Amino acid sequence: MKSFVCITGATGGLGKAFAVECASRGWNLFLTDLSGKNLENLSRGLASTYDIEALYYPCDLANDGSQKDFFAYIQKEKLEFDILINVAGLDFEGFFTERTPQQIRTITRVNIEGNLEMTYAILKARDKEKPFRIINVSSLAAFYPMPIKAMYSASKRFLLNFSMALREELRPAGVTVTALCPAGMPTTEGCRQSIESQGFAGRLTTKNVGYVASKTIDHALKGHAVYIPGLLNRMLRFVGFMFPSGLLARAICERWKSTRKRKEAIL
Amino acid sequence: MEKTEKQKTAVVTGATSGIGLAIASELAAKGINVIGIGRDSELCKKVKNNIESLYGDVRIEYLTADLSKLSHIRQLSSNIKNMANSEDDKSIDILINNAATVSSWFVGTEDGLELQFAVNHLAPFLLTHELLPLLAACSQGRVITVSSSSHYRTRIRWNDILMRKNYNCLKAYKQSKLANVLFTAELNRRSESNMNLIALAADPGLVNTNIGLKGTSGIVRWVWKKRSKKGVNPKKAAQSIVYLALTPDINRFNEIYWKDCKPKRPGRYAQKEDNASKLWKISEKMCGIKSADYGL
Ligand SMILES: NC(=O)c1ccc[n+]([C@@H]2O[C@H](COP(=O)([O-])OP(=O)(O)OC[C@H]3O[C@@H](n4cnc5c(N)ncnc54)[C@H](OP(=O)(O)O)[C@@H]3O)[C@@H](O)[C@H]2O)c1
Repeated sequence: MKSFVCITGATGGLGKAFAVECASRGWNLFLTDLSGKNLENLSRGLASTYDIEALYYPCDLANDGSQKDFFAYIQKEKLEFDILINVAGLDFEGFFTERTPQQIRTITRVNIEGNLEMTYAILKARDKEKPFRIINVSSLAAFYPMPIKAMYSASKRFLLNFSMALREELRPAGVTVTALCPAGMPTTEGCRQSIESQGFAGRLTTKNVGYVASKTIDHALKGHAVYIPGLLNRMLRFVGFMFPSGLLARAICERWKSTRKRKEAIL
Repeated sequence: MEKTEKQKTAVVTGATSGIGLAIASELAAKGINVIGIGRDSELCKKVKNNIESLYGDVRIEYLTADLSKLSHIRQLSSNIKNMANSEDDKSIDILINNAATVSSWFVGTEDGLELQFAVNHLAPFLLTHELLPLLAACSQGRVITVSSSSHYRTRIRWNDILMRKNYNCLKAYKQSKLANVLFTAELNRRSESNMNLIALAADPGLVNTNIGLKGTSGIVRWVWKKRSKKGVNPKKAAQSIVYLALTPDINRFNEIYWKDCKPKRPGRYAQKEDNASKLWKISEKMCGIKSADYGL
């Protein structure tokens, strides 16, 4: 039977890069994200450009009902999978106390619970003939406590730890789990501005999404546990081991405050 | 029988700034019925009013579309068809594919493509296909695609045409402008036997516009700021393109690449037929169409 690659957050910058990369390798796709219209355009383009089958079903991971429909669709169509790429995730940057309760709930629903439930359901629909690959998009922010992105970086830390533990649990079953920990990527206008405002350092830690997607798949196929794109970023990770995390958090907070000031000066 | 200029209709993309705006104004001033394409409806309105107040009694309408999106191009085409069909002679004489963009970053489009390749090459490709019935309905339809001397000394990256892995702003731009010439050459070959169509690629030279300032940052932006100052004004550049649009029997000797109202030899890579046909086939797939269905 034919199996599919399931990608969440598929119409965002990184998700789309994964979708294009998988399509260019001739793999069939099952894409999901919030907007059906966006999914339709992307699936249609990829199916015709790369001669693959591209299915989609919109789903709001923060909404239980929508998620139920999504899993029911998979069952009804008897879809089988050999790769799951969990890209969906979001951030509301700024001080925790400035967030609304709704935003707080959405972050944990999408970044954590959404990921867990998706992983659980897709593993059940796994194509048993083949090895199974899971890629979880964590972040470089997972390696340090990050003020101003407190919830976000903690949620990414959750995914990192979860991925590494799950990897061991599922090793005998022929499943690999890879955590991707990228620094900022210029995928949206907002990201691009934020990278710009960090100046030279921002640009150095930035990598092309297409490159990242392609390399990540290579690492996942080799069953690696963690992939951090970029040499400098890999070194930054060790900074996280070298200094006490309290001190790091303080330094990061100072840095963000100053770039925020710079950004405001630009605007 | 050759139509008078007052009986002709022209479609101009990117008609809200730079060279395209100057082309649209010039054509309208000559009495041609102009359909300008822009991406920002407010800007379209403003520009239309400006042209009308400058030239008085002209016929110019604007339609909006984001040319980086295939869905918008399809919608735009059907809007143009509706507009043309409400006129007496139901045809389009001139299509000027002028819109183009430069981007410092790799930007993925909604169809899974790259921004510069989509706007600069695939938009002309798809729009021309969709408008073929209207172009074929007049005695000698003309498709002019604004290319550039950037098309020299570059090539098509066949194994990563969207430059997903190794994006470089300038290389992506150069490749897209090369694609314009290859597209023009192949369009002539394909339409030769069954359509009276002329496809031309225009090189406007260096022109003082903001093209390098819109989607760019850092060094690219800085260089363009300095360099564009040395360019001619858009009005001057537009005149040579209007010449291509209106001169009867222009390509008697099958010259497809023009600069300053004179034919010029395009780059060697651009002259190779197999490059053109290979690019054409890839473009068909990316747009999800079959040229045969359009009579090409
Ligand atoms: N300037 C030069 O020296 C030079 C040299 C060689 C060739 N060219 C070529 O000349 C042509 C015109 O360039 P220009 O210098 O006049 O640049 P420009 O002033 O930036 O004009 C480009 C036009 O394309 C439109 N456009 C860009 N992205 C679009 C999108 N996604 N959807 C719809 N429309 C879009 C722009 O709309 P807005 O008005 O909304 O921005 C603008 O009207 C281009 O094909 C360029 O490659 C220019």
